[in-house]
Amino acid sequence: MSNGQTITEDAPWWELTGYPRHAACLIAARSGDRAALHALVVDLNPLVWKVARGQGLDPTIAEDVVQTVWMTLLRKLDSVAEPQALASWLITTTRREASRNKNVAERVEPLDDDASEQLLSAYGLPEEEALRTDRNRAIWRAFNRLPRRCQDLLRMTVLAGRAEYDHVAKEMRMPRGSIGPTRGRCISTLRGYLNNEGGTS
Amino acid sequence: MSPTERPSGQSAASGDPADIDLSEGLSEEDERLLVELGTVLELVHPVPEGMAARIQFALELDDLEFEVAQWQRDDSLVGVRGSAAPDTITFTVGDLTVMVSVAPGINGNRFDGWLVPGGPHTVEVRVHGHEPTTTSADEGGRFALAEVPRGITQIVVHLAGGDSQRTRTVVTPTIVL
Repeated sequence: MSNGQTITEDAPWWELTGYPRHAACLIAARSGDRAALHALVVDLNPLVWKVARGQGLDPTIAEDVVQTVWMTLLRKLDSVAEPQALASWLITTTRREASRNKNVAERVEPLDDDASEQLLSAYGLPEEEALRTDRNRAIWRAFNRLPRRCQDLLRMTVLAGRAEYDHVAKEMRMPRGSIGPTRGRCISTLRGYLNNEGGTS
Repeated sequence: MSPTERPSGQSAASGDPADIDLSEGLSEEDERLLVELGTVLELVHPVPEGMAARIQFALELDDLEFEVAQWQRDDSLVGVRGSAAPDTITFTVGDLTVMVSVAPGINGNRFDGWLVPGGPHTVEVRVHGHEPTTTSADEGGRFALAEVPRGITQIVVHLAGGDSQRTRTVVTPTIVL
């Protein structure tokens, strides 16, 4: 049966990587290929999970949210309009589901520099216990000082691998051409924070 | 089966803007920092063990017309997926509430449950690696299952439709009981 997908028609999903693979898996899953659906979970759940945790959900609530997202995908296999934008669809759905499930730990916008610096040096961040090296702690602190938009953009860059510009742009509601420069600024800011911290801690 | 039906030339959507690598415009220094950031994100928010299997099992539903219920948790239940199983779990969707108390037995768990609003709804408990266990609630919405195998568990409720109403199916995320 012809699937009409430009990128994926030549190779079966298990021979593909990245976005073409996700698209091919989705198309295969539509016709009941359970292995393809399972492959999508393996490939993309790390991204979905970190987006959910990045919304400030504790691990238990985050897993409910993440499972709900995947079950929503199962229900909507036929209506995810653009198979190639699946990662993007997952991120959007995860955020929406997370905001419906925000628990007590209501995520707040990053504080201004001075205030957040004081708070950080006094209390640290809850997740810091997981980090053993000063360098990693410094990176995590610096990352948390970035505006949400920067955090999201960098998280997607790191986790979605060779993420495709149009989809990132759509997800971030940015003009396509501004993704690169924006991200460049986010990285510079991150590095700036790191260099500052290097002197003080 | 040959997985190499067409040895296509790895065509990467030629001419498509999708070709653009997201690493475009990044210095080597930037790349290194991003790699470090990736490591940090993995360390602070590691994917819980066994999560992919729990999701995959949750997706093995035949009927795709369902609503997903939310587990209701209070503080005492945090860590449900970690070690100790909870005594009582509650989930809701819309106006439906399902409460289940789980008591460990010799050959599995005993489930005593209560559906609100009540009615002769069908309750199916799916456990990974086992045949589903099914029962019906009484008019008051109460149900019991004597021996449910332990493992990755999902509860599916088929609501008894009033009259000719389309029946609703409600499913929960999976947890390990």
